[in-house]
Amino acid sequence: MENVETAPEMPKKGMTAEKKHKIKQLLINLTPVIGLVLLLVLYLIVGGIRGINFASGFEAIINQSIVVAIVATGAIFIFTLGSFDISLGASTLVSACAGALVYMSTQNLFLMFLVCVLTAVACSLFSSVLGSVFNLPVFVTTVAMMSVLMAVAELLITSRGGNQLVASGAGAADSLWLKILLLAIFAAICIFVFSFMKTGRRQKFLGGNPVCAKLTGISLKKYAIIAFALTGLGVGIAAFLTVLRAPTVTSGTAGDVGMSIFIAIVFGGMPISGGPRSRIYAAIIGSFTITFLNQVLFFMLLGVAGADGISQIVRAIFFLAMVYLASINYRTKNLPR
Amino acid sequence: MKTLLNKQQLKSAGIRVAGTLAIPVIVIAVLFIACAAGGKNMFPYDISFTNFIRGILTLMLTTIALSINLGSGRFDFSLGAMALLSSVIGAQIVMQTGGGAWVMLLFCLLSGAVLGAASGGLYVLLKLPPIITSLGVTLLYEGIAFAITGGANMRLLGTDTDSITNSVAIMIVFIVLFLAIIYFVFDNTKFGYNYKALKEGQKVSVNTGIKEIPNAIVCYTITGVLMSVVGFLNNTFTGTIQVSGLNFGSIGIMFGAFLPMFIGGFIGRFSNDKLGYFLAAVTMTLFSMMYSAFSLTNSVQSIISAVLLVLFLIYLSNEKLIKDIFTGKHLRDYLKRKKTPAGAEG
Repeated sequence: MENVETAPEMPKKGMTAEKKHKIKQLLINLTPVIGLVLLLVLYLIVGGIRGINFASGFEAIINQSIVVAIVATGAIFIFTLGSFDISLGASTLVSACAGALVYMSTQNLFLMFLVCVLTAVACSLFSSVLGSVFNLPVFVTTVAMMSVLMAVAELLITSRGGNQLVASGAGAADSLWLKILLLAIFAAICIFVFSFMKTGRRQKFLGGNPVCAKLTGISLKKYAIIAFALTGLGVGIAAFLTVLRAPTVTSGTAGDVGMSIFIAIVFGGMPISGGPRSRIYAAIIGSFTITFLNQVLFFMLLGVAGADGISQIVRAIFFLAMVYLASINYRTKNLPR
Repeated sequence: MKTLLNKQQLKSAGIRVAGTLAIPVIVIAVLFIACAAGGKNMFPYDISFTNFIRGILTLMLTTIALSINLGSGRFDFSLGAMALLSSVIGAQIVMQTGGGAWVMLLFCLLSGAVLGAASGGLYVLLKLPPIITSLGVTLLYEGIAFAITGGANMRLLGTDTDSITNSVAIMIVFIVLFLAIIYFVFDNTKFGYNYKALKEGQKVSVNTGIKEIPNAIVCYTITGVLMSVVGFLNNTFTGTIQVSGLNFGSIGIMFGAFLPMFIGGFIGRFSNDKLGYFLAAVTMTLFSMMYSAFSLTNSVQSIISAVLLVLFLIYLSNEKLIKDIFTGKHLRDYLKRKKTPAGAEG
């Protein structure tokens, strides 16, 4: 009799546990979004106390986030494969230099855009083809590429006899809506390829289990080249927007883009190891999270000595805490590598 | 039998010596010939030799520090940040207490060990991929260095902190001492055996009872100590600690150590990887001296170094194929395949 009574409760208990697990999982998955919303609220509170103009404040946030958001969205394809490219900042700089030089010669914005994109795609493809043809570890190839690209950028910048390239007039086309439009178009392309085409599915498979993927006939080389090409497209667009925003290109232009994309992607909830848990929207969430955090800290530490250092310490703690929370369900027995 | 054994032993020893010395000897020969042909002197000033020895010591230590964790699949971006922060702490103490170079070195070493252990502790505590932890640690240490100094570069004027970095004898002693300690720790202790076991098979090693967590923390601590010496030497040589590099401004130091690490690993196949790192550091520092002799710009230097890195990696990744091509085996196999009709094996 007891058995008869307890029997119907078993699935009920199981369902409750399952439901709890699902809610917990959902909350963990939503950690990056919750973090972004909390920072937005904090920004509004702190900004309100400081009496800032929110219209120009949000414009500044979009301007600061957009370049990293675009580059990082493209880079998601590389990260999904379990690889990463450290030369993206240098690639953005070289593309910006090439675009600025073309604009200085032709005063043609479309040509500048085209040159930025072509240069960036060429740089990306060179890295991936080099790695694929000669079986090189992609990361080290990109380390070498970073050195080469920084050197090339230096040569391009000094090619006109100074320490900077000034694409005077290009800044006139700088508009918030153009940036938002380009981000939206590029993100739409990436989401389509990543979520609705076999390319994205196969890349996730390759990142999750490369041996199994290879045994089913999926070519890592082919999908690595596609990933790098898409990343190059993003880098090219970002380089174009960089020149529009700051028409004076120096060796310091886009200097922090290379590492910021790592932080943005991880902040957005994407595992650095890639695979099936990769999320295409992570880059956009992450880059806006960083900017909101920077802005909040800027207002909070206004007038404090060594504020930039303290701000970076807080960012580091926030970064580690966010990643820890977002990956709490994926702990392994051994130390991760 | 004894003679045969001796011959085999001699042949084996010959291969090992040739493999160990091939790259450094060839590179040194090429560089000296290039300099002679161009009428350049790699050591034109009295200070050149001191710079050469300092270059070897700093590059060797950075390469060893990079290889300790990278060899175990733990990518560590925080090497430069550890060098920076340990120097800032050491310099702060020296400037407040009025101590000299040895006092600064001592505090750099202590703070480097603490920073390394903290980095390792964070890694084992959070159980996040090491690359992510190291990104966080880099931001943290750079931020702390910036906050301590208020963002201003620290000048070490008025102290005798450059007495070590300008002494060839002391730096040679350091090279020998660090090589001996690292060799002893990693090749002759229980920790070292465990380290190698974990490196080759993490899961099996842990299942057999090897404690991975203390091993990892010790690895990070050693890395911190080594990088603190690098930071000390670089900063006391220039007399200024540049603290303005926020946002990963400190990571550049590690990129120059990739090529010596791969060269050292290759040499290590014939003898010992630590000896390999030393010889690779000698080789690469000579390259730097050659760059200076020819007054090459930083851009050209970067391109040459990157091309060398890629070429060496191409060789390492395709070693068998390249050997087959040079010995004619590749061609013979190709002709054999061509002669054999399709499906004949079946």
